[in-house]
Amino acid sequence: MNEFLLTVFSAAFLATVIRTSTPLLLATLGGLISDLSGALNVALDGIMLIGCLTAVIVSHYAPWYVGVLAGIGAGAAVGLVMAFFHLRMKADIIIVGFAIGALATGGTVFALSLATGGDKGTSINLPSGAVPAVDLSFLGAIPGIGPALVAIFSGHSLLSWVAAFLVFAIWYFLYRTPWGLWLRAVGEYPAAPEAAGIPVNAVRFWSLIVSGALAGLGGAQLAMFNFIGFTANMTAGRGFIALGAVLLGARHPVGVMFAALLFGAFDGLTNVLPGHYPWIPPELIRMIPFAVTILALLLFSYRAQRALALRGVKA
Amino acid sequence: MAFIEARGIGRVYPGGVVANDGVDLSVEKGEVHAVVGENGAGKSTLMKILFGIERPDAGTLSLDGRQVHFDGPRDAIDAGIGMVFQHFSLVPSFSVYENVALGSEPRKGIRFDREAAIARVRGLSEQFRLNVDPMPPVRTLPVGQQQRVEILKALYRNARVLILDEPTAVLAPQEVAELFVAIRSLIEQGCTVIFIAHKLPEVLEISDTITVMRQGRTVGTVKAKDVTEHELATMMVGREVALRVDRAPRAAGAEVCTVSNLRLVNARGADVCRDLSLGVRAGEILGLVGVEGNGQAEVMEAIAGLRHVADGRIVVADQDIVPLSVLRRRGIGIASIPEDRIAEGLATGASVAENIVATRLKDRRYVRNGLLDLKAIKANAVRLIEQFSIRVNGPAVPVGTLSGGNMQKVVVARELSEQPKLLLVSQPTRGVDLGATQFIWKTIAAARDAGAAVLLSSADLGELLALSDRLLVFYRGRIVAAFHNREGLSPETLGTYMLGLSEQSPEELRAGL
Amino acid sequence: MTTDATPTAPAALPAATAAGNMKPPTRLSIAGRELGRAAIAVIIAMIATLLIVFFVSKSPVDALMTLLTAPFSRVRTFGLWVDDVAKLTMTGLAFSLVFQARQFALGVQGQLYVGALAATYVALSPIGQTWAGLPLGVLAAMIAGGIYGFLPGIAKARLGANEIVSTLMLNYIAIELCNFLVRVSLVPPGSGLLTTDKFPKTSLYPVLVANTRIDLGLIFAILCVLGTWFALYRTSWGLKLRLVGHNARFAEYAGIKANAIMVSAMTVAGALGGLLGSMFVQGQAFGQLTVLFEGGFAFEGILIAIVARNRPLAVPVVAMFYAYLRQGAQLMNIRTDVPAEVISVVAALIILLVASQFGLPAWLKRNVLGTRRGATR
Repeated sequence: MNEFLLTVFSAAFLATVIRTSTPLLLATLGGLISDLSGALNVALDGIMLIGCLTAVIVSHYAPWYVGVLAGIGAGAAVGLVMAFFHLRMKADIIIVGFAIGALATGGTVFALSLATGGDKGTSINLPSGAVPAVDLSFLGAIPGIGPALVAIFSGHSLLSWVAAFLVFAIWYFLYRTPWGLWLRAVGEYPAAPEAAGIPVNAVRFWSLIVSGALAGLGGAQLAMFNFIGFTANMTAGRGFIALGAVLLGARHPVGVMFAALLFGAFDGLTNVLPGHYPWIPPELIRMIPFAVTILALLLFSYRAQRALALRGVKA
Repeated sequence: MAFIEARGIGRVYPGGVVANDGVDLSVEKGEVHAVVGENGAGKSTLMKILFGIERPDAGTLSLDGRQVHFDGPRDAIDAGIGMVFQHFSLVPSFSVYENVALGSEPRKGIRFDREAAIARVRGLSEQFRLNVDPMPPVRTLPVGQQQRVEILKALYRNARVLILDEPTAVLAPQEVAELFVAIRSLIEQGCTVIFIAHKLPEVLEISDTITVMRQGRTVGTVKAKDVTEHELATMMVGREVALRVDRAPRAAGAEVCTVSNLRLVNARGADVCRDLSLGVRAGEILGLVGVEGNGQAEVMEAIAGLRHVADGRIVVADQDIVPLSVLRRRGIGIASIPEDRIAEGLATGASVAENIVATRLKDRRYVRNGLLDLKAIKANAVRLIEQFSIRVNGPAVPVGTLSGGNMQKVVVARELSEQPKLLLVSQPTRGVDLGATQFIWKTIAAARDAGAAVLLSSADLGELLALSDRLLVFYRGRIVAAFHNREGLSPETLGTYMLGLSEQSPEELRAGL
Repeated sequence: MTTDATPTAPAALPAATAAGNMKPPTRLSIAGRELGRAAIAVIIAMIATLLIVFFVSKSPVDALMTLLTAPFSRVRTFGLWVDDVAKLTMTGLAFSLVFQARQFALGVQGQLYVGALAATYVALSPIGQTWAGLPLGVLAAMIAGGIYGFLPGIAKARLGANEIVSTLMLNYIAIELCNFLVRVSLVPPGSGLLTTDKFPKTSLYPVLVANTRIDLGLIFAILCVLGTWFALYRTSWGLKLRLVGHNARFAEYAGIKANAIMVSAMTVAGALGGLLGSMFVQGQAFGQLTVLFEGGFAFEGILIAIVARNRPLAVPVVAMFYAYLRQGAQLMNIRTDVPAEVISVVAALIILLVASQFGLPAWLKRNVLGTRRGATR
């Protein structure tokens, strides 16, 4: 037990958590943007998957950063398609999300099979690039705390730093710029920005595109750092967990960051638990992130409900 | 040429509804110009065209001598036109200054310059004596203040022309007076105001010029000082109207509904009303008077079973109904015509017959052993369609495909198809034209004459005075005055109580109760 | 614009004539419009398939011919089609039911797994060797699925927990639960496979047509279509459910307990999902439980429900069409160089187009649907 706790509170585990959290956090930020603009994006998982495959295939032929950009671009393009069907064709956003999900699950396998010449499982014969880790070992020169700093800050994916920066950037955008005000107004009460002459549909359009781009970036991190290469259905529900994280994070960038870290920590546990407790069945360990999401959802809903009930509102 | 000139404006909606057909409007600079007409006369469409929300199919628009084309509200705003809608366009969680600046924020680099916005809003509020604090979230403000936030929004965008869409509909008489003060101060400072309304006394009081619309056309433009209320009404409907219901004085029967020591709370946990008691007898209409948000609506909801009762008793037909479900209450004979009839009173995707039977799913005539008797349901719907002359292609058609007026009739038909013991009516004629108003008034009066106890709440004092046998005035969740509706009871008297300026003594109250 | 024409309001009459060229639509014209839209969606999706096949295949004509004709080419493939229709119908019905109550519950997959697990425990127990194995297996599957549908329902009713997230998470949990139980308790010791023994004959669905997969499941599917239709359109529960789906606020006002109806709809849909689980493992196709046997099949029901506009009687019709495409794609995958997953692209396109509110092209309205009514819309 002690050994296990030591592992959990070690710098190495922190590194694991940051690694597992990064794709989730990027997708969650994407979910946050669309949610605040008034559209529940249930396609996050599918967009991540498309981002994964695009990044892998492109990075086979081009440098890693082109692969990452392609992942972002693919996500943005899917967001654009969703926006088109939701806003121009007036289709229900949840149904559009389902359709994109269906397209992603089968379509990525279809495209993978074409790209690899028949392999429908993995991209193993299509060697792809990786996102570099940021080496901060020079911090070790600082006397005293140097080694600790290195252990905590060095060796993370470049995209983890990007994700951390994006939390700040999105917070600044939402609460400090006029466009953030527009976006929140569109999500809360569209008639008001409409009357103020704000192009409401354009705001929604861009929100879905950015939401897609962020999920695509999450996919790129997943397939070019967490794993190297594409496996059918490799997102394993991360995009749906991200939806839960948006709710749990109270729809605020900093809140969703902590929610993503929490889910990432449980995801990280699934990596270290088998080493310490081999008798725990792996299936049950794999259930943990999903069970935690449900518990978090119930807890969050219960508290929201109780807050209302305390104020005497009939359920 | 006038300041604003609209010539030959035409607008046909997809589906063939002619909303505007050769409409002319000319507004002089610095005047208050009222546009009056029944609902559906095309006033709103014309204003939406002036504000760039709708594009006309025909006709020209000119402002200050130059012809203009608006492709959206933005163009209209840039041209110096501002509009205050009947339904406010405010984001509830945003502060006043955020709402005012939304869409035209002062910037410092890419940042929203909050300090500049606050200063500007404070300055405008003082200049036009609107008395609005820029800081609190708008959802905490009373309706009258929210309306002034809307006016601030227009002024913030340098509006020289202000369009007010039915601004007085939600205000108490004294608040109307305040609004008129603000309008006069706007005119003094060089603004032009277009005022849409259908309450004629107010129109005559505030406006210089009046344009009357009927059925998508302009009937004429007159000077306010040259015309009487009666003449205007005749122009509006194209015939003589007498909006009156014969209220035969009759002895009210036994008390049907007794509310005692009722306490209700709102979503934020604050008391909506406390220790409230009232009673309504068979064969009388009890009018609940008050500015919106003073508890009348909530009391009605509590009786209907749609709002949690924190404390107190509601006795109908000799039993406490507080623990009863909505269905059981309906079984006792409580019927209710909700304020938002389409959003709350109908399932627009379901058929007319299904909407009509929806409140009777325990009735053995229509449901036995959990199975629907489709024949009986259809026959009942056909009968009511006939009786209430609902224009529809049969009972199986989805309600949502009917016109607004016919949808309302489906609700009225369902609630009054069987004589209720207690009828709850909220805002029965809001958004309804004069012809339909008369029909609805007669229907309510008929229910009363047949022995129903009726609770009526309305923002229209004229309506309350025309229909009620007794009136209770609500202020901040308390009953502050009670009257028997006799000759000489004026809207102004009610207004002083509605705004909490005075309060009856307990003895006076008891006499009215 | 109001078009009241009450006896007391003659003044409103001219307004009514002004709008008189817009006749109130009839039921028939509404149904016609929906049908036309679905037809266009299918045509566009088929054209897209054509383009994709031409783009990726070396022998596109062969591939297309296989896609379009193979399912009916042999008795065996015909049987595969019927089996697929029956199963697609079940998942389509389960989704239609929750969608009609306007709940975006996506739990059919999880219900399918717990249903299959329950049926397997019955079939592999001593009871499974008796005549009771078949009915008890079916019953156990429906109860398990019902419970699995009830849980997210009650969580939403009591706590307001978002049903999309909760049902998806429950799906993943059910899959892992199935993996776990198969490995530790259902597979015979020593076997390295993740598949149970074949069920005893007494627990299997009887075959209806020899040498095909057509079995009792087809009868179940037909009964469920009729049952769901009857429940939705002939009982007060169904009317309440549909009213809640149309407008929950109105339902409360009318005295319908919206939450109770919602939970019951999710529970019944769960039982249908559980029954589908039994159809998989007790049916002729499998006759045993294998991990990950479902492979995302349950979600095909979303397409079926959306295209069928959640109408139970339309569900099997859509299922027939879609099963044909699926089987064609499988055979195309085996016999030519086009991967079967092309079908997911088609499916996504169909969903998107059916959910879209586009106007029908004028020529189509004139020539195909409109004729005499064409002028009224």
